[in-house]
Amino acid sequence: MANTRRALMWQYALIAIFAVVYLAIGSLVRNSYYQLMMTLVLIWATMGLGWNMLSGYSGMISFGHAAFFGLGAYTMTIAFVKFGITPWLGIPLGILVGVVAGVLIGIPTFRLRGHYFALSMLAYPLAMLYVFEWMGYQEVSLPMKRENPIEYMQFTDQRVYMVISMIALVACMIISLHVERSRFGRSLLAIKQNQPAAEAAGINATRWKMLAMMLSAGMAAAAGGLYAIILLVVTPQTVFGALVSAQALIVALFGGVGIFWGPVIGSAILIPLAETLHAELGNILPGIQGVVYGLAIIVIILVAPEGIYWKVRDRVLARRARTKVTSQPRPAEQISIAAGAASLPRPAFGQPILQLDGVSRSFGGLKAVDDVTLSVPEGAIYGIIGPNGAGKTTLFNVLNGFLAADKGSMRFAGTEIGGLKPHEVCACGVGRTFQVVRSFPRMTVLENVVIGAFVGSKNDDEAERLAYEALERVGLADQQALAIAGGLTTKHLRLMELARALAPRPKLLLLDETLAGLGHDELEDILRIIRQVNRENVTIVIIEHTMHAMVKLADHFSVLDHGRLIADGAPADVVRNPAVIEAYLGKKWMDRAKDQIA
Amino acid sequence: MTDWQWLIIDFFQALAAGLLVGGTYGLMCVGLGIIFGVMRVVNFAHGDFMMLGMYVAYYLVTGFGVLVFLGPYVGPVVGAALAGPVVYVVGWLLHKYLISRVTGARVISAEAEGHYAQIILTLGIALVLANGGLILFGSTPLSVQTPLSRESWEIGLIFFNQARTVGFIMAVICAIGLYLFLARTSLGKALRAAADNPIAAAYVGIDVDRSHRIAFGLGVGITAIAGGLFAMSQSFQPYIGFDFVIVMYAGVVLGGMGSILGAFWGGLTIGLVQQISTLVLPYQLQNTAIFAAFLIIIFFRPQGMFGRVWERT
Amino acid sequence: MLKIRSLDVAYGGLRALSDVSLDVERGEFVAVVGPNGAGKTTLFKAISGVVTPVKGEITYNGQNLLAVPPAERAHLGIAHVPEGRQVFASMTVMENLEMGAYTRRGQERWGELLPMILELFPILSERRNQLAGTLSGGEQQMLAIGRGLTSAPDLLMLDEPSMGLAPTIVDAIFERIHQIHTHHHVTILLVEQRVVEAIETCDRGYVLETGRVAMEGTHKTLMSDERVRRAYLGM
Repeated sequence: MANTRRALMWQYALIAIFAVVYLAIGSLVRNSYYQLMMTLVLIWATMGLGWNMLSGYSGMISFGHAAFFGLGAYTMTIAFVKFGITPWLGIPLGILVGVVAGVLIGIPTFRLRGHYFALSMLAYPLAMLYVFEWMGYQEVSLPMKRENPIEYMQFTDQRVYMVISMIALVACMIISLHVERSRFGRSLLAIKQNQPAAEAAGINATRWKMLAMMLSAGMAAAAGGLYAIILLVVTPQTVFGALVSAQALIVALFGGVGIFWGPVIGSAILIPLAETLHAELGNILPGIQGVVYGLAIIVIILVAPEGIYWKVRDRVLARRARTKVTSQPRPAEQISIAAGAASLPRPAFGQPILQLDGVSRSFGGLKAVDDVTLSVPEGAIYGIIGPNGAGKTTLFNVLNGFLAADKGSMRFAGTEIGGLKPHEVCACGVGRTFQVVRSFPRMTVLENVVIGAFVGSKNDDEAERLAYEALERVGLADQQALAIAGGLTTKHLRLMELARALAPRPKLLLLDETLAGLGHDELEDILRIIRQVNRENVTIVIIEHTMHAMVKLADHFSVLDHGRLIADGAPADVVRNPAVIEAYLGKKWMDRAKDQIA
Repeated sequence: MTDWQWLIIDFFQALAAGLLVGGTYGLMCVGLGIIFGVMRVVNFAHGDFMMLGMYVAYYLVTGFGVLVFLGPYVGPVVGAALAGPVVYVVGWLLHKYLISRVTGARVISAEAEGHYAQIILTLGIALVLANGGLILFGSTPLSVQTPLSRESWEIGLIFFNQARTVGFIMAVICAIGLYLFLARTSLGKALRAAADNPIAAAYVGIDVDRSHRIAFGLGVGITAIAGGLFAMSQSFQPYIGFDFVIVMYAGVVLGGMGSILGAFWGGLTIGLVQQISTLVLPYQLQNTAIFAAFLIIIFFRPQGMFGRVWERT
Repeated sequence: MLKIRSLDVAYGGLRALSDVSLDVERGEFVAVVGPNGAGKTTLFKAISGVVTPVKGEITYNGQNLLAVPPAERAHLGIAHVPEGRQVFASMTVMENLEMGAYTRRGQERWGELLPMILELFPILSERRNQLAGTLSGGEQQMLAIGRGLTSAPDLLMLDEPSMGLAPTIVDAIFERIHQIHTHHHVTILLVEQRVVEAIETCDRGYVLETGRVAMEGTHKTLMSDERVRRAYLGM
């Protein structure tokens, strides 16, 4: 799309301007201490970008990026000191070591979540610190090579290092820029926001997280290698220490999480501040750097939890949003589909598209799903109802692949789907919405829906077309496609969720309480859209509590109570079924009703 | 004596040392256990509160000599005990003005995000405390002066360092005192209820915010006392908190989340692991053994020894 | 005693309650029934202060309840027995009951109330030193009700006491609730999914459906009214 290419060019231009201006200023600086400081800003920005690649984009907070930084530094150093290998090769070697370490650390540690992940990541560099100290590397100085310094990346003029560091930083910025705009980056964002929903939309979370870790570790190792050659002294504390990990995090957090400009901004502000304070007041106040960093994060997390970049951007956008959003012209082919759908007759029910046979799932002693057998004909709107705690959501989770069935088989369009992971189930043609809609509030509706289209498309253009098509089907294409998702009403959020599930053109749609909490008119709108989608040959299985809406919508009910199927059939029959009435209103109600009839 | 016999003696010596050190570790972990294990608040600055306790004890005993009149044997113990209330107040204030902004009922619902903010905020506090300590106290390693640290009692062929033994006894007494407080007093029970089920606690009329604040102060205060006891036999500097963060979390997770008693056993076990590992590992790697233990527990038995089985990492 | 007028509650963008009005007079037994998602628990949460209404008022004994902070409302004599029991799982049965008596009135009347409660629920006496988390569902429900009673309340609010319990146990619990009302003269506000159990014992009742009051009536008028069934099953 012309729009995005222009935006990309604009970002490139900004990066180029930044680099040129920065180096120009740097070339004017005479004092070698300030030259060093300017170089360090670039190195810490690179480190911050590395942290951002994993923790900023995917939300897995790491306290241990010093591990990769240190490995990069020591690889280069040991290669140099022990084997005489030039840093020009040593630093890339360090990057490789970092990437491998990232994979090895990632494999076990990704199974943890939240604070356990952060704490475990903390353990790795600290362990490495002790190991390196024990191995005798308390302090390693890199020797000066007077004969051919350039071959060994040794320059008397500090500014050359500035240029080298800038090249490394720009490379990382460009990589980050492309990641952000690619489906890789979007997938990471989806994982960060709501991993189950992302997996149900077809995203292979494990693969993407590992890729992020590899890039992240590589960048951190590059920063470490450069740091070592510039300072010429490496100690375990300075490269594996907690402050290194903290600095990576702080720089990114302060400047802006999840955007490649963030660490650059953060580094440009905090590093000179801390270094200057340290230089001026370092003798009287020896810990002033740390105090400044600490206060910076405390203030930031309370005032602008995602960093300065986002705070400023939100303010600017809020002011601009007061003017109306102009919509993009839609691709012409889509209009005919929208016009045609309303007049399509209801297709006759076909063969069973989904077949469950004796599916069971227990938790401890509790049978959440107990021997459920049902068959959903193609083209039907199939309702699964039952009182609270009956096992409906567990059934969906088993269908989707989030939980494994203890027993029984599930066949979708003839293929066994039991045992598949959620993103694989999605790729087969099953879409799902979730009870709690979590959108990406800063992205547009279109961008939110495109994430669902990745699994069904080979490239980003195709994904965008699919997304538009899906938005058409739910009626959001006109004004809302380019609206920011954060400002949507509940009804529109639900429709957006629906569009996201529809984007890869599934044959079966699992709707999880899509109608809950809506007012009367909103309910009618959504019911109309669901019926329309169904006419376009999408089979629908829906879990709902809102009975008066369900009896109008569904062709068929299956009633679950305590995990077992207690009734199955047309709505009118099912709601008069004594077992069902008893499940909902209690046994005594039925007894009294029977007494009155008798 | 044969090599074999020396080995056995070494083992028992390590066991004894591990036990003594473990008692103080245990108390330290109990403090974190109240906060992380029970309230599920991630406090990254916990080690730095311990550091504060060490410095308070030092200044009371050796620095300003306020407790000199108690003599060199009793003084350090009292100093350690007094470190508790001082750090309690600091913790209480920090919770009221900073930490409560990222904890509490409204945050519980957004669990991942709530924890993220807690981790970052307490990291910031940790940096400020550690580096502020560097500014205020300087970087020279200090320790609370007491002749106890140089003398040992001997039972059989095993030496029990006196300072560490006194520390162990005090730690056990404090742990028992805390246990009685929580089990028998009305305030203690209210704290437990507020941590167990904040919603139900609010329904019975307990001020949950206030309870969490007191519990936080208590948690850091207890760890500060452990620090003060430590300071009798170990030198410290303002960055010592970072070294101990993993040790403390390892102890709490090992003992089992939600169990304060478990936290004590967890800390004790960590102390044992550390000392026994010196038999096979070089001295510098003793903490590495703890990290390995921590990672193993998290991966294979996240509920620890006494935790509830539904504790999942 | 308790007056609710035109209450609107919304959270997470969902309209949980719309224009709900309700009265409970001193000494009455009022039941609120309705299907899942009707907003019954939200009603209690609004009374207890866990959620704040967007509109409307709640008056208790003439006092504006919305102006009272949540943790204080228990001290006014309102006991809330929550949905799902919510016992303090890591504390013993006796400690749970003690926690109920956290209010001053509860402490004053502890001596007379404890024997009464143990007589009402003998199983609690048997298991007094057992951890609440190890009790069965029915026992936990009795404990939660007992905990509510130890605060010596004027108004006892019970949120779906039958949830997750087997029918015979539900019968036993409702029998006790009936006893509490008739013998001990406690005003009761009950929220239930099971219609008959609730309506049988109540004086008056309300039927909630998708956040609104669909019907209101005395115990006679609500029993076996077709509209009640329609509220649950849609037709």
